[in-house]
Amino acid sequence: MKYEEALKRLEEIVSGIEENKLDIDRIGESLKEARELIKSCRDKLYKTDEEIKKILETED
Amino acid sequence: METLTLLELNGRVRSTLQHEMPDPCWVQAEISGLNPTGQGHCYMELVEKDPSGRTFLAKAKANVWRTVWLRLKPYFEAQTGESLKVGMKVLLLVSVTFHEVYGYSLTVQDIDPTYTIGDMARRRREILERLEREGVIGLNRELEIPLLPHRIAVISSATAAGYGDFRNQLSGNVYGYRFYVKLFPALMQGEEVERSVIAAMNAVAARRDDFDVLVIIRGGGAVSELSCFDSYDIAVNIANFPLPVITGIGHERDDTVADTVAHTKVKTPTAAAGFLIDRMFETASVLENMTRRLGDAVSGRMETERLRIERIAQKLPSLYAVVKVRHEQMIENLWNRAVSGVRNMLTAHLHRLELMEKGIGAADPVLILKRGYTLTRCNGHAVKSASDLRKGDRITSVFPDGTVESEII
Repeated sequence: MKYEEALKRLEEIVSGIEENKLDIDRIGESLKEARELIKSCRDKLYKTDEEIKKILETED
Repeated sequence: METLTLLELNGRVRSTLQHEMPDPCWVQAEISGLNPTGQGHCYMELVEKDPSGRTFLAKAKANVWRTVWLRLKPYFEAQTGESLKVGMKVLLLVSVTFHEVYGYSLTVQDIDPTYTIGDMARRRREILERLEREGVIGLNRELEIPLLPHRIAVISSATAAGYGDFRNQLSGNVYGYRFYVKLFPALMQGEEVERSVIAAMNAVAARRDDFDVLVIIRGGGAVSELSCFDSYDIAVNIANFPLPVITGIGHERDDTVADTVAHTKVKTPTAAAGFLIDRMFETASVLENMTRRLGDAVSGRMETERLRIERIAQKLPSLYAVVKVRHEQMIENLWNRAVSGVRNMLTAHLHRLELMEKGIGAADPVLILKRGYTLTRCNGHAVKSASDLRKGDRITSVFPDGTVESEII
């Protein structure tokens, strides 16, 4: 998932919880998804993505 | 008609010139040739063209002698940020000289850099007006820099100090953000800049999906020679570029046309890196903020649910009390009904007993005694027949008001 999309989905979940739109029984599930999204976003900020490195190292 | 030798003729031309034009004058011209010599002099060729720029209207040689050149060159560069070069419009203070052998030439005594600055500004303005007319001037600025601008295409010369600064700045960022930099080398000085930069831009554009932004940087050169970035062709390429373009080719005083059409312009390569780091910082802040909100939202939601349950729990005792009172009343009612039921039953029985009592009242011995009868007892037993008594028996006669002892005789 692209960073922008991940952030957008995260916003949906957070505001869903904030505005009591999410079913209480599904909060655990949403929380899990949100944590995964946060982790993947953090990884993109702070961890080296070997795939990108490889793509950029290829010469034209 | 007199006949002169060539020397005499040239001598006369020289003295006429000296007589007619004894003082230096300011002349506007375009440099069409520039040859600094090993001795420290500089030979120039000056021209004036017609408005189309294709036809020469005038031409002259101009010499800058060493003493003047040593002062004039750094002064001009400091003022304009440019070195003198072919194609540049200049305003020179010249004296007109004529040499019998070398002919007509100008001797440069001074230069007015403000004229050149003005001319460069005019050229920039003209290019910008053209880009505006063509509707492309704001195109690159309309692109959005992605939230995560970490795949960076760089156009620079590989050896430029500025490129090294840029890389170091990015890789050493204190937050630990990861950047991926790919260099597309180009010449950033000299005649070839325009062609070379455009070729590099085309190479980046061919791989546009691999990158988030394009950064064009230079720096580290002695004199910047910015005017190559006042180029219509570079500008139109930047304006139409599919990725946001960040320029760090800057100048303290003026923006080049490339800067003006770029998405973002900064002054130095280091500042370009700083801009990208700041952008990542914003992105990271949004994420951290979202993480905080998520935590708050979940605990807030849980708290709301807890309070709901608590409210219900608090209501239970009072609800119970209501139920209890109702049941107590029911029980009391039942009791009362039972009590009155029993009472009624007793009353009925009593009534029956009273009636029965009345019925048996006639048989009461006391009443019989009161009517004048007595009851006779002997040895504690009622005497019902005279034959039960013998002589000498002691009998007791029971009257209503007492007893009398008698003896049978």
